[in-house]
Amino acid sequence: MPYRGGSGYVARSSSSGLYDVLELILDKGLVIDVFVRVSLIGIEILTIDARIVIASVDTYLRFAEAVNRLDLMGTETQGLPELMEGITEGGASNKTKGMLQGAKEALFGDEEDEEEGEEDEGSSTRRRSSSSTTKRKRSSTGGKKSRSSGSRSRSRSSS
Amino acid sequence: MAEPKKPGAKYVYGVVHAGDEGWSKLEGINGEPVSLVKCDQLAALTSEVPDEFLEAGREELLTHSGVLEQALEKGTVLPMRFGVVLPDERSVRDELLAPHSEELEAQLRDMDGKVEINLKVLHDEETVLREVLAEIPEAADLRRSIQGKPEDATYYERIRLGELIAQALEDKREQTGPAVVDRLSPHAVAVQIGDPVHERMALNASFLVERKDLGRFDKAVDELGEEQGGRIRLRYTGPLPPHSFVELEMAA
Repeated sequence: MPYRGGSGYVARSSSSGLYDVLELILDKGLVIDVFVRVSLIGIEILTIDARIVIASVDTYLRFAEAVNRLDLMGTETQGLPELMEGITEGGASNKTKGMLQGAKEALFGDEEDEEEGEEDEGSSTRRRSSSSTTKRKRSSTGGKKSRSSGSRSRSRSSS
Repeated sequence: MAEPKKPGAKYVYGVVHAGDEGWSKLEGINGEPVSLVKCDQLAALTSEVPDEFLEAGREELLTHSGVLEQALEKGTVLPMRFGVVLPDERSVRDELLAPHSEELEAQLRDMDGKVEINLKVLHDEETVLREVLAEIPEAADLRRSIQGKPEDATYYERIRLGELIAQALEDKREQTGPAVVDRLSPHAVAVQIGDPVHERMALNASFLVERKDLGRFDKAVDELGEEQGGRIRLRYTGPLPPHSFVELEMAA
């Protein structure tokens, strides 16, 4: 029987929720490019990396305001927890390149502020809107790996 | 002019051992039953879709991951990326299974008894902002200097303050992410690090974990959360089929 301990700081879910598996099923897994035949409806796929978003004036102003609002009468910050000690570099070297970064942000907004509003609105309407869904077969890329973003960039809004 | 739909195209969910049983009751996209297309030791989990470009939304995405999730309960499955449709059953054999049989069989054996756990680690906003103020005197000074003043009058101080915070968040990401990976790696067979998709995300990683080690892995995750006392939030998704740990080489 697997360990089923509880912790208030860990939120668990199986794959039945779309939120966290989206990037995996759209960006990972086995694929043969020429047979990717799908257009995503009502799912806005953007390529945003948090590290790019973070470096904007808007973000700076928002951070400043958040700090400004902090009530510093509360507890003072303790030193960093032990976790930070003895870090080695090994673990993070195997970086994958995601084509889908930010899709979840686009879908769900800030995870703590909004739920799945945009996504629900768009993707539940599977209507066939006019002529913009063309049947496009992608020719094989020259690369060795059959990994490519294929259909993913062909998103449409449902309006 | 709408052509009549030609049936018979095959949507492919994943690849399994041909010998495994119990797939037949799965329901695929548009409610079509999931069926096996076999080729020697391999079998593809497929269902019929109209032979045209597939328009897909939330429902189809959920069905794809749902079929794979149920398949994972019954055995080992190599997940396909969403949206792979082959023209017919024969092409599933001739284009997917047969030309890649060696690598697919090897990966299936590799993945026996293993699952993927996706873990996203976010810094708690308030905690992390307090840390920044405590650690960076300039940030604390700037905060004091904007207190009680109108935004317009403190525009440049605010930008500088925000910039300091952004940099500090980056630094913290670079500390927390690898530290979490180090703590959990002993319980995993492999790890794939993805890009963060939120400004406070310290880590977005998938771990390949032996089922028999899952208890220990889960416990380590919980301990990490407890230890950090709300400084970080962990979002744990799984067990999942090994999306991040399979790949198809293009046939030469």
